[in-house]
Amino acid sequence: MNPIISVRGLEKRLRVGKHHRGKLGLLRNLVTREYNVIPAVDGISFDVGAGELVGYLGPNGAGKSTTLKILTGLLVPTAGEVRVNGQVPWKERVSYVATIGAVFGQRTTLWWDLPVIESLDLLQHIYRIPPDRFRRNLDRFRELLELDPFLHTPVRSLSLGQRMRADLCAALMHDPPLLFLDEPTIGLDVVAKERIRSFIRRVNEERGTTVILTTHDLSDVEKLCGRVIIIDHGKLLYDGGLPDLQRRFGGKRELVVDFAEEYQEIVVEGAEVLGREGLRATYGFERDRLSASDLIGRLSAKYRILDLSVREPDVEDTIRRIYKERLLDA
Amino acid sequence: MRLFWELCKISFQRQLAYRASNLAGLVTNLFFGVLRAAILLALYDNREVIAGLTQRDAVTYTGLTQAMIAYLHLFGVNNGLMNAVYSGEVATDLLKPMNLFPFWLAKEFGGSVVNLLLRGTTIMAAYALVFPITLPDNPLQGVAFAVSLLLAWQVSFAFRFLVNLSAFWVLNAQGIGRLAFTVSWFLCGFLFPLRFFTFVVPAIFLNYAPALYFLGQPDPLGLPAFAPFLAPFVGAGIFLAAMRFWQYGIRHYQSTGS
Ligand SMILES: Nc1ncnc2c1ncn2[C@@H]1O[C@H](COP(=O)(O)OP(=O)(O)OP(=O)(O)O)[C@@H](O)[C@H]1O
Ligand SMILES: [Mg+2]
Repeated sequence: MNPIISVRGLEKRLRVGKHHRGKLGLLRNLVTREYNVIPAVDGISFDVGAGELVGYLGPNGAGKSTTLKILTGLLVPTAGEVRVNGQVPWKERVSYVATIGAVFGQRTTLWWDLPVIESLDLLQHIYRIPPDRFRRNLDRFRELLELDPFLHTPVRSLSLGQRMRADLCAALMHDPPLLFLDEPTIGLDVVAKERIRSFIRRVNEERGTTVILTTHDLSDVEKLCGRVIIIDHGKLLYDGGLPDLQRRFGGKRELVVDFAEEYQEIVVEGAEVLGREGLRATYGFERDRLSASDLIGRLSAKYRILDLSVREPDVEDTIRRIYKERLLDA
Repeated sequence: MRLFWELCKISFQRQLAYRASNLAGLVTNLFFGVLRAAILLALYDNREVIAGLTQRDAVTYTGLTQAMIAYLHLFGVNNGLMNAVYSGEVATDLLKPMNLFPFWLAKEFGGSVVNLLLRGTTIMAAYALVFPITLPDNPLQGVAFAVSLLLAWQVSFAFRFLVNLSAFWVLNAQGIGRLAFTVSWFLCGFLFPLRFFTFVVPAIFLNYAPALYFLGQPDPLGLPAFAPFLAPFVGAGIFLAAMRFWQYGIRHYQSTGS
């Protein structure tokens, strides 16, 4: 398979002005220019095949947005190679950006004081979209994204969720084979998120659009991404499937038990007591060592039990542990 | 090209829609115009001609330069590009397959045309009512005036674009903008029809040259009559400089953290 995106040894160092505090500091700020250099992206390599839907994850400040800015031709990297669709993003900006769609969740690509439909009309001229294709796409997206209620509203007056939908539509009007999304669900309610997710999935499935998206909402990832790339401090930590990540780093399964009476000793073999509160106790156990029914059997043989429930480890936990305990650090 | 006209149209409509601000601007320009005319007349102190300009010419000159303020954006070097660079919003333009220079040009041109039509002509009409003014006495002069007016805009735009690009290097580009404004304002012969400074290219092409055509005055520096029509070359020169700056700026652009 020929990758549509190929990134090799990507680095971006950013300069951040150093400010000194206090009265003397003011003076120093005035006469000297000092910088801290931050390796926002620090030697990242990966390939993405056509039609993939990849989640690009990492804690705040990991370098996700910086990577996407490079991939969309906004920033020139300090070192490394990038080829997207046969082009180097920052070399031929104008011809390159015609082949991609991008939504940076915090900002809009639409014109602030134009109605949505007029912004889209302008985009038609900018991307030179043939009228019939424009019509067809507009009709399709109007339906999928439910744009009609605010098609004639100025972008400035749109709610966040409406604006995001309008932006997604704008990013796709020219049928780009590639879509970059930086936090497309930021600040949206559950329903709005779901709508955006199912839209992204459809675009990926129906049009074969390759999608890279960053997000802090792991349900986005669970529901959408066949593959995740995790970075931190500008370095690649993990690149692979979500199930595999779960298997390798997923926490234990948990069994929550409500005892009928107070017991001094509640130890059972093969499980670990994770917590205890009044009559309730939580056991952790590993799937490949002990089945839930075995554990329940062992417990009920020793104690009187009122109620129990099994909790599967979720992706959220896994990722949180990976970020916090730096499980993936090489 | 189609895009260019669409953008012009939008900026034209938008400027038209700013009724209150158009009116306020008009009143301000008129007020200071009359003030300047009064000061000049006092300077003339009953002499008929100073430095080749009659009283009537001088008054007309103040009217013309006032009328061009909004059109040439003389008081606003900041055209929004510096803010866009500072806030990172320029990214949204960079994500679109278009060249930014014609894009920003179109974004402003429509508005400038409104300013010329609404403010410029109203100011001149008001002057004509209050003062005796000099009018071009042959059509050729009028045509030369119109052409040099258009060229003046082009120089003004290229200059402002260039100044705005400073935002790529300094955080407080507005300071640079204000400095540039002061300098150009002084040099372009705005204050008085001074002949000392106006030789400073490109300021001469802003409102000094068009005004001379309007008044039918020879160039006091003895520059040949076609000199003001060199504006496109000067404009192109500034434009090329701006392009270089632009490319350099983009290469080093860091955008913003979020
Ligand atoms: N324009 C900039 N100037 C200076 N430093 C920057 C700039 N943009 C980002 N950085 C720094 O680079 C690092 C990576 O930032 P980036 O925006 O890529 O993180 P992120 O993974 O997108 O984080 P978040 O999840 O918070 O959006 C951070 O340490 C940030 O402070
Ligand atoms: Mg980010």
